[in-house]
Amino acid sequence: MMSNSNLFKIQSLLREEGIHISFSGRFTQSIIEELGEALKNYLEAEQRPKNNIFNIFSIFIEQTQNIRNYNVSKENSQSYDKIAQSCIVTIGSLAETNYIFSGNLIETNDARPLTDSLEHINTLNKDELKALFKEKRKAAINLETGSAGLGLIDIARKASAPLDYSITKIDDAFSYFTLKVLV
Amino acid sequence: MKGFMIESSKSTPEVTFDPDNHFIYIKGQSYPENAYKFYEPLFQWVDHYFEELKNEFNVTINFELSYINTSSSKCLMMLLDKFEEAHCAGKSLTLNWYCDLENESEVECAEEFLEDLTLPKYILQRVD
Repeated sequence: MMSNSNLFKIQSLLREEGIHISFSGRFTQSIIEELGEALKNYLEAEQRPKNNIFNIFSIFIEQTQNIRNYNVSKENSQSYDKIAQSCIVTIGSLAETNYIFSGNLIETNDARPLTDSLEHINTLNKDELKALFKEKRKAAINLETGSAGLGLIDIARKASAPLDYSITKIDDAFSYFTLKVLV
Repeated sequence: MKGFMIESSKSTPEVTFDPDNHFIYIKGQSYPENAYKFYEPLFQWVDHYFEELKNEFNVTINFELSYINTSSSKCLMMLLDKFEEAHCAGKSLTLNWYCDLENESEVECAEEFLEDLTLPKYILQRVD
């Protein structure tokens, strides 16, 4: 069981980093809904501008559903439990800038395509992102997962800076992926 | 033809398809775990409805969606394509898209949905 001093340390760290809401553990649709509602209530209580609330909420939903969808895609693999339990999302603000910062384990094999799509998205300006979004929205949906492959593009469109990500190799099988989005 | 109704949940909108009054209404937030699963029965209903619909009736479609995630957005686009097809086939439809006009992100999202459609469409202020 955690010691009193560790709890205090965690709280100090949360405060230093400007974190308002954090969740670590298995992401489910209902957890995403509950956190989303809590986030919206928090931002409304702070009387943020409406489009600011809308963008933060949108990014939060896309980012967490991306992780959730990734977990679901691994449901029948041996790495499922390890991946599903590795997820964390934090929402905070530092010096007037809001951020949604998430992390999760991925299979090292999946690192390359993820890097490629993030790198590509980061080369595009807002108009190009809009064009890509509209083009991909017209393309066929993945019927099995319901995934549209639009999440990262939408996040990039609403973000105020390029997507800040890292992929750190843990071993041959797993890498840790983090994504920090400023808005 | 029978109507179609779904009550809203945290992540899915309320849906009312009323064939007697030629009224289609979707209201709420849309970010279910699997958007296609949620929208598939709506696609089927709409296809069936337009097959039977006579050209002299006017169909009113009201969308009032405060939040749409990307996979729902794709499904809504598929629904709008069906409306556009019906319009091009000579059916009479009007699409009212209600949003918060003070929220520029929401208005932009509405405009992007509607900009390629030729059927009569309006962006109007949502009343909460």
